[in-house]
Amino acid sequence: MDREILRRLESLNQLRLTEEEKEKVLSFFEMQDKEITRLGDIDTEKVERMVHVMPMNNVIREDVVNKVFTRDELQAAAPEAYDGYWQVPRLVE
Amino acid sequence: MKYETVIGLEVHVEMATESKIFCSCSAKFGGEQNDHVCPACCGMPGMLPIVNKHVVDLGMTAGMMLNCDINRTTTFDKKSYYYPDLPNAYQTTQWFAPVCVNGTVDIKTSKGEKKVRIKQIHMEEDAGKLVHDDWTDSTLVDFNRTSVPLIEIVSQPDLSSAEEVIAYLERLRSLLRFAKVSDCRWEQGSMRCDVNLSVRPEGSDVLGVRTEMKNMNSLSAIERAIEYETARHIDAIENGTEVLVQETRRWDDIKGKSYAMRTKETAGDYRYFPDPNVMPVVIDDEWYNRIKETLPDLPEVKAQKFIELGLTEYDADQLIQSRALCDVFEAAYKTSGLAKESANWIITDCMTILNKKQMTADMLSISGKALGELIKLVAEEKVNRGNAKRILAVMFDEDINPQEYAEKNGLIVSNDTGKLEEVVKAVCAADPKSVEDYKNGKEKVFMALFGQCMKQLQGNCNPQALKEALLKELQ
Ligand SMILES: [Zn+2]
Repeated sequence: MDREILRRLESLNQLRLTEEEKEKVLSFFEMQDKEITRLGDIDTEKVERMVHVMPMNNVIREDVVNKVFTRDELQAAAPEAYDGYWQVPRLVE
Repeated sequence: MKYETVIGLEVHVEMATESKIFCSCSAKFGGEQNDHVCPACCGMPGMLPIVNKHVVDLGMTAGMMLNCDINRTTTFDKKSYYYPDLPNAYQTTQWFAPVCVNGTVDIKTSKGEKKVRIKQIHMEEDAGKLVHDDWTDSTLVDFNRTSVPLIEIVSQPDLSSAEEVIAYLERLRSLLRFAKVSDCRWEQGSMRCDVNLSVRPEGSDVLGVRTEMKNMNSLSAIERAIEYETARHIDAIENGTEVLVQETRRWDDIKGKSYAMRTKETAGDYRYFPDPNVMPVVIDDEWYNRIKETLPDLPEVKAQKFIELGLTEYDADQLIQSRALCDVFEAAYKTSGLAKESANWIITDCMTILNKKQMTADMLSISGKALGELIKLVAEEKVNRGNAKRILAVMFDEDINPQEYAEKNGLIVSNDTGKLEEVVKAVCAADPKSVEDYKNGKEKVFMALFGQCMKQLQGNCNPQALKEALLKELQ
């Protein structure tokens, strides 16, 4: 983790960190990095790849339509809505 | 120097499901803005996605139609990017274990036959729609399309001309429509295509700089864009008109030009990450075999079978344009035992009605069995063709039994010779001049009298029997 990676993550996540926050994040990631690097010491030769963190499969549903919420209910807490649309600052395509 | 174009395609197809991929909202095209939306697909916190089983069915079906291997354990991953059409700020897609890998599609062009390799097919959710609104000077977001299930079919860079690309896309469309994976309607956006293209000296095995044109939505635009890009690349290589860079470009079909959009993100920038909220899907033998058994014949195999039943090549070709036509034909043939007639009724009469209703062949939903029964009634001369057509029109709107309907509405051909004679006598008595003319050798009036009788009988008689009865009366 260095300042360049942090800068890229900032831009990808659309965040703006203060200098103080950057220091905090960098030292946190440095610590994490050390821990994660230690995992490399474990012999995983005979361990099968983990497919998923949850020991569960096939949480699936039938293809049936069910309408539970109205548009007004969903948009009740929207910061901005207009004519049934969510509204955001104009994007230049 | 001679150059060759190297093209790989990413084709997005909206799957023909009722509901969305991770929630129960309707997946149908259209509807009022944000009418097919729930807390899950508009990205409210705390919602858990649950995989639509039919999406996996159709993903597998697509893979089997394209000769792919099916990953028996398939998982979903997050692809992160920020854009208002993506309420979660990530798209749930498949990166590490897509449902299908390593397939092939056979294509035919003027240069002969070719196998195009498929790298993978993955299942994912579609994004919403943005409307850039001048009136409010803002961007309006519609999440109806958000989470509508897609498959993305990724080919290897095996295509080398616009002609091959068109052949490949048409083949793909035909196979997927046949297997009812998707209606593949370019004009509704249920089929879209990203074109990756580079150019290199013929015979070279080093790939040139690759550009990508995203979201192409018509065959003619794709064809023009490939020709334009190929020429642009060659011009840059030969004449140094510009420096080619790996980038995403937008095709402007009206101006006939492509424009640079943004530098292509590398895969790392999407930060693909296993989605902890979507559990892996494990496909057991029972599930796998159930899908395998529902696979239709390839269109050309079906056509061959139809020809063996006695259809002409032309008729068979008409029927395989749509799976719906094939299904109705097969049921009608099974009931009536009359191949040629069944094909004619579908290709001529059903298509006429569909056209009038501004419907496509895919929308033919009449009962093939009922059509077979109607064809039998005509063949047995129990209903005449004109009335049969009327009954067919009713079949488009109502679920009817043709025989019962014909009986109830007096459309059965009468074999009652007493009735025939009665009508013939009445018609002749009412028009003594024509009868006189006929007896004096004016044979033309026969058809006029015949027509009047037919009219009185409302067409419900055997024409031969009527002819005989009328001749007898005039003697
Ligand atoms: Zn939903």
